[in-house]
Amino acid sequence: MPQIFEYNGSALIAMVGKNCFAIASDRRLGVQLQTIATDFQRIYKVHDRLFLGLSGLATDAQTLYQRLVFRHKLYQLREERDMKPETFASLVSAILYEKRFGPYFCQPVIAGLGDEDKPFICTMDSIGAKELAKDFVVAGTASESLYGACESMFRPDMEPEDLFETVSQALLSSVDRDCLSGWGGHVYVVTPTEVKERILKGRMD
Amino acid sequence: MKLDTSGLESTAPLFGSLSSGIHDEISAAPSFALPNTINFDGFQKEAIQMVKPAKGTTTLAFIFKEGVMVAADSRASMGGYISSQSVKKIIEINPYMLGTMAGGAADCQFWHRNLGIKCRLHELANKRRISVTGASKLLANILYSYRGMGLSVGTMIAGWDETGPGLYYVDSEGGRLKGTRFSVGSGSPYAYGVLDNGYRYDMSIEEAAELARRSIYHATFRDGASGGVASVYYVGPDGWKKLSGDDVGELHYHYYPVMPSTVEQEMVEVTGA
Amino acid sequence: MECVFGLVGNGFAIVVADSSAVHSILVHKSNEDKIMVLDSHKLIAASGEAGDRVQFTEYIQKNVALYQFRNGIPLTTAAAANFTRGELATALRKNPYSVNILLAGYDKETGPSLYYIDYIATLHKLDKGAFGYGSYFSLSMMDRHYHSGMSVEEAIDLVDKCILEIRSRLVVAPPNFVIKIVDKDGAREYAWRESVKDGAVSTA
Repeated sequence: MPQIFEYNGSALIAMVGKNCFAIASDRRLGVQLQTIATDFQRIYKVHDRLFLGLSGLATDAQTLYQRLVFRHKLYQLREERDMKPETFASLVSAILYEKRFGPYFCQPVIAGLGDEDKPFICTMDSIGAKELAKDFVVAGTASESLYGACESMFRPDMEPEDLFETVSQALLSSVDRDCLSGWGGHVYVVTPTEVKERILKGRMD
Repeated sequence: MKLDTSGLESTAPLFGSLSSGIHDEISAAPSFALPNTINFDGFQKEAIQMVKPAKGTTTLAFIFKEGVMVAADSRASMGGYISSQSVKKIIEINPYMLGTMAGGAADCQFWHRNLGIKCRLHELANKRRISVTGASKLLANILYSYRGMGLSVGTMIAGWDETGPGLYYVDSEGGRLKGTRFSVGSGSPYAYGVLDNGYRYDMSIEEAAELARRSIYHATFRDGASGGVASVYYVGPDGWKKLSGDDVGELHYHYYPVMPSTVEQEMVEVTGA
Repeated sequence: MECVFGLVGNGFAIVVADSSAVHSILVHKSNEDKIMVLDSHKLIAASGEAGDRVQFTEYIQKNVALYQFRNGIPLTTAAAANFTRGELATALRKNPYSVNILLAGYDKETGPSLYYIDYIATLHKLDKGAFGYGSYFSLSMMDRHYHSGMSVEEAIDLVDKCILEIRSRLVVAPPNFVIKIVDKDGAREYAWRESVKDGAVSTA
């Protein structure tokens, strides 16, 4: 990854379970090796069943999030319903490609529950090339470690509690191999009936 | 082509036969085969990239009433990747002397080992232990002779000799400084922040150990390239002793047991509004 | 080099900035006030290129004032911080301002707050923050001695510790610092910490 994606540091992961999904991130905001804050948010709620994680440059994550929320609110007003995850992914992709020649330096992770509570997860590159997955997606400076952890820890059709445990362990063990992410974790487990948000204690170095 | 460094050898006469082949091999400064290339500088640049020195480190040492306190973290990183969380950055040169490691791991390990040999030979030849001043000078001279060839060493030599506690900073640019308080590595400014403020000459051993540990902890918190275990060594009249090795991951929750975390909720509302 | 830092205490926020105006090897003056009083209850401490710093902070100040005139109510600190971020973010991909900002304010509802906004428009709410070379020394110092609910005396003591450390450890340490505070009674200058008097300018 080019340098600019590593400026603030990040770790993101989304994983599918049985009629549910989990999305998790680290909590560090840094400027290269200097840690600025350990309560940073990279996962945003779009609506009760749709979450968006933005890895990469923090400023672009904030800008992009604000633009996406704005577009989603317009959609809600016009259609009088929430966006489906697939639709939202297309919107993100379109907004990213708008800036083809001066991109937002972000790699988004989108996770949501669609029709009939079918979990949907996807990621894309900084100019909007969608990459759908059935099991898990990862992004950020710790992505290489995350791939390894998820590849070995993922099991299909996990229940929400199992899913939380798996995602948390994968996140915490991966960021231990990355200088630029970690300092705690933030996990959302989303089921058709509820959203569970948990803050993880982690190594603070 | 061979780089001959035998001229840099300590001139202290060795007892016994000087002509012994085995003896020569041990006491002679090591020499290295140089690459057979026209573009030496270019080759060096590439070679340095290949053995990229692990730069992220926090080490510190200070002299106080009871002796010298030496402390370090234990992380080795290559770029953003943490290659190890259990590096021994405090090197035991001999029972009375410690060296710290910042910069290239191989460079530091090799030259500290080499220094250990030289110190032992000095001891055998002169029937007394080498002074910290002497030992650090020995190392500084070697490093100076390799200046500009890509060695990367930032070290502190701490020990106890006939004159009491001694502390020197030596680096691969040829610098050698005598002092009472040093910190080296990417996390050193953070460590200095805590160390300078808490330092007093008349501290007890426990106070000094805690100050050293705390300085390392705060550096690992802010510096992404430092972390792992905060080890603390003490060098007194009877030689060095390892006082502690605390996992920084646990140390944080020891210093800050409760985690008041309500702030970020506000942030969500603000950006979301 | 430039040093800006700040922290939130019990019912107040403090920001500190060095006061050197430097151009390559030349120090133009050493009593340049880099902390602007944004409105009655907000402070904006900025470091960065001299021109950008003045232009941008004044632009923000005037727009915050305009909002208050139009709507009859002042912006909250959070709103001002988000506005500032927005302006920096828009400018970022046109012609960026190189200014790093610590925005401190006091609101009736939420109390004191401190926002970190860097030149690429990253916004974050903090208890303690710092910019510039001084950050390496002041951040660990604040981590060590900060606790929630600090009194003004404790906070000033901590600020002085940071200044002392910067002056003794930073090669290019600025000689003078200005400290400003904001609490329920408003934003105001608290003190200067001067080790060099700028005779020519201060008498003028």
